[in-house]
Amino acid sequence: MTGRRIAVAAGALALLVGLTACAGNGPGAASSSGNPAQTVRVYLGDDTNIQELWQSTLIPGFEKANPGVTVDLQFDLHATNKTQTIAKLAAAAQQQKDPGIDLVEGITDDAVKAGLLADVGASVPAAAGIDPKVLAAAGLGAIPYRASSVLLAYDTATVPTPPKTLDELLQWIKDHPGRFAYNPPKSGGSGTAFVATVLDKFVPADVRAQMTTGYHKELESNWAQGWATLAGLNPYVFQKGVYPNGNNGTIDLLASGQVSMIPVWSDQFVSGQEKGTIPKTVAAAQIENPSFTGGATSVGVVKSSDRQQLAIKLVNFVLEPAQQQAIAAKIAGYPVIPLDKLPADIQAKFGAARPGELRPTYFTDHGKDLNNLWDQLVPGH
Amino acid sequence: MAAPPLLLVTVFVAFPIVVAVAYSLGHVGGLNATIASIAREQHTVDAWWQQTFAAYGDVFADERFLRDLGTTVLVTLVTTVAVVLLAWVIALYLRMSDSIPAKVLSALAVVPMFIPVVIASWAILTFYAGDGFVRTIVQAFGGDAPTLGYTVVCITIGMVWTQLPFATLMIVSGVQGVPQPLIEAAADAGASFGRIVRSVIAPMALVPTVIAATFTAIGTLGAFTVPYFTGPNAPTMLGVEMAGYFTSFNLPQQAIVMAVVVFVIAAGFGALYVWANFRQAQDAGRV
Amino acid sequence: MAVRWVRSALGAVAVLALATFVLGPLLWLAAHAFATSWTFPNLLPDGWTLHWWEEVFADAQLFSSVRLSLAFALTTIVVSSVLCLPAAYAFGRFDFPGRRTLLIGLFATNAFPKTGLFVSLAALFYAFDLMTTFTGVVIVHVLGTVVFMTWIPAAAFAAVPRSLEEAARDAGAGPARVFRSVTLPMALPGILVAVIMSFLASFDEAQGTYLVGAPVFYTMPTEMYSLVLNYPRQVAAVFSILLSIPSVALLLLVRRHIMGGQLAEGFQIR
Repeated sequence: MTGRRIAVAAGALALLVGLTACAGNGPGAASSSGNPAQTVRVYLGDDTNIQELWQSTLIPGFEKANPGVTVDLQFDLHATNKTQTIAKLAAAAQQQKDPGIDLVEGITDDAVKAGLLADVGASVPAAAGIDPKVLAAAGLGAIPYRASSVLLAYDTATVPTPPKTLDELLQWIKDHPGRFAYNPPKSGGSGTAFVATVLDKFVPADVRAQMTTGYHKELESNWAQGWATLAGLNPYVFQKGVYPNGNNGTIDLLASGQVSMIPVWSDQFVSGQEKGTIPKTVAAAQIENPSFTGGATSVGVVKSSDRQQLAIKLVNFVLEPAQQQAIAAKIAGYPVIPLDKLPADIQAKFGAARPGELRPTYFTDHGKDLNNLWDQLVPGH
Repeated sequence: MAAPPLLLVTVFVAFPIVVAVAYSLGHVGGLNATIASIAREQHTVDAWWQQTFAAYGDVFADERFLRDLGTTVLVTLVTTVAVVLLAWVIALYLRMSDSIPAKVLSALAVVPMFIPVVIASWAILTFYAGDGFVRTIVQAFGGDAPTLGYTVVCITIGMVWTQLPFATLMIVSGVQGVPQPLIEAAADAGASFGRIVRSVIAPMALVPTVIAATFTAIGTLGAFTVPYFTGPNAPTMLGVEMAGYFTSFNLPQQAIVMAVVVFVIAAGFGALYVWANFRQAQDAGRV
Repeated sequence: MAVRWVRSALGAVAVLALATFVLGPLLWLAAHAFATSWTFPNLLPDGWTLHWWEEVFADAQLFSSVRLSLAFALTTIVVSSVLCLPAAYAFGRFDFPGRRTLLIGLFATNAFPKTGLFVSLAALFYAFDLMTTFTGVVIVHVLGTVVFMTWIPAAAFAAVPRSLEEAARDAGAGPARVFRSVTLPMALPGILVAVIMSFLASFDEAQGTYLVGAPVFYTMPTEMYSLVLNYPRQVAAVFSILLSIPSVALLLLVRRHIMGGQLAEGFQIR
């Protein structure tokens, strides 16, 4: 008889749960959007600080400036499900179905490669002010809207004087075995920046310039010495060659005191200190010769979307001076528009670090090869 | 009457498998057009009757793949053996003495089935990590335990943890199915405990054991979550490698080649299982 | 006397060892949920706090995703039962040509790593207009349960003694009555085991659900995956405790049934 009661209870629960859940719980669900024609669906493949930026600042601002328009935010933490999303967009484009997303952020590299973005350069006047190098590196249809650089985060308690150049850093790692960590390039940009910087030590400047704007596979032979150096670091990094996954994996190690120094994204560093996930005893600094790379994050309008005009409006919105100022204030992101459009204090803060001056990252395909080759040549060697 | 599930599986699983294998052999038309537009470094053929094994050549020439293949098979074998042994110990204990410790043991062994695998992987990593429980306890006694987190050993521990429940249930029910009179008769005839296990219980519980071993092996081969969370960067298991090839290196054709390799090995284990069933059906006179 | 003592001591040691192996990691993680921070090699955290719980409860998406996971799991077992139980009956009671091959085929298709099927699945779902629909996600979940819901009930149905059914028919019962009153109740324990395993399989399904469900349907495992990797350890610990509760509740409810013999019976090909 107890079995019967359980069955009845389960059935009632099922009915209740099923009815309320049919509508879905995600941001794309019917209940959360207004008029479909006036809704822009944004995909954000990024970290939590960027989610907050969009949810608390950019989206409310846009909705206020455009009454009647709503923005649905689909947030994919650290682009974990990037593969599925690109697959969906590509399949939708081929079958000419609604892709479900109008604007992508953070995965524009893959989207550009797959030809999924609309060429909106002409409709975005502010794009003319963006540094042409940065714009070219983003690819067709991708519009950079914020930039960030990778810094060296170190625990001031155990590291009184941080290394100032790459050579000093490499020496420090060898002198302090197990106290430095970086993540595999395929899992996070901070690790990519460290790897790229070590590789760049041995790549001539003109060759490097070529590799940031186009794909020249034969030039990757210049990386050979860099790979040897990185493999040589294996016994001296955390746990004799363990590379935790993701930008947050290394931040976690630093916060729990298991390492003393990691590469970190500048905006994640600032947000982390505000939230308390990075202790106040940790400081960050840039190195030189060469410095850590930086990069712009872009947004892109999906080609097969039927609300391109609205999406373009949103792109224009985030490039407005007021929004760029908010980006600088909220997440310490570098603005991408010319600094003279921004107030004096922002100009002072970022004067020396214009996005065009940030050492750019490698071109997409080189980036993928870098991920692959690191996996092949470094761990376990 | 049997049609609905067969239809469902055929359309949504078998058909995509065929399409995927075709892609690995170079066919980029039809359903493969989508992925072909995204992929890099793929080898294609023009006509439907042609094949190319170039992608297979790429993958097998990569020493990373061979190393990971070896690791995957090694972890699978060690996990399967460990799980089956552990399950047998619990099953025999439960059969021989229906005491409270035995019941507690079998209940404990089933607990992992009810914990979501993501949580389990994370829990196991933090338990065996550099600042985890194992090292803390040993340190408290003045020793220094090795850090097992992010090693292949940790992957194996994690896989044993997650695969234990199913195998235990299988083997316990198999051992419980041995009729008591048989055991008593053997004991009366003077057989030692070991002899009873070897000659009476083991043959009768052979098929459940093979089933448990097969399921454990197939489950471990394609595992992703546990090795991703607890394992080292190199060597790692093929499930993790495959995901990386798809997501981070954008080499889907090579990734599908790996999937096919895993499938073939799994089929090998499955064949063992089918053979065991066939043998048992033969013995029972049903074939 | 001494042997008895040794035997119980061994038993206690065995229980302690297995308990540490199985429960240790879970308890260790759970302790982190209440810790301010925990410096190695201290045996206890540096401090106790409920602050992380506040952070987690502030996340609105969390509870809706658990509710959604439950909804999908329950729907999946209903749909799976309707689809697969008749087939299970057929597999268990009738001997048609190719029966064993089909059974094995069902089993074999699960062995192909799902990662390799994503893009084909996406294209297929678009072609059928099933993307981001409730039905689409249910299909993905049901696919993971087909093996359990055909094999185990098939064996359960096959194990019902024909003599009992014949006796009932001799007593004047029609075929439907025989099924309802004799066959089904005897096969029910096996069916119940299949249902439980299907529920757990659906609850754990992550990647396929994201492929089809996002951005409308976010289930618990999808949330869990990225949350564990991207939040401080203590927050991940809190999530883990909360997200285990449905499964543990199920465990306590069905403990008795699972420990029966249906599972082994279910996976034999007869």
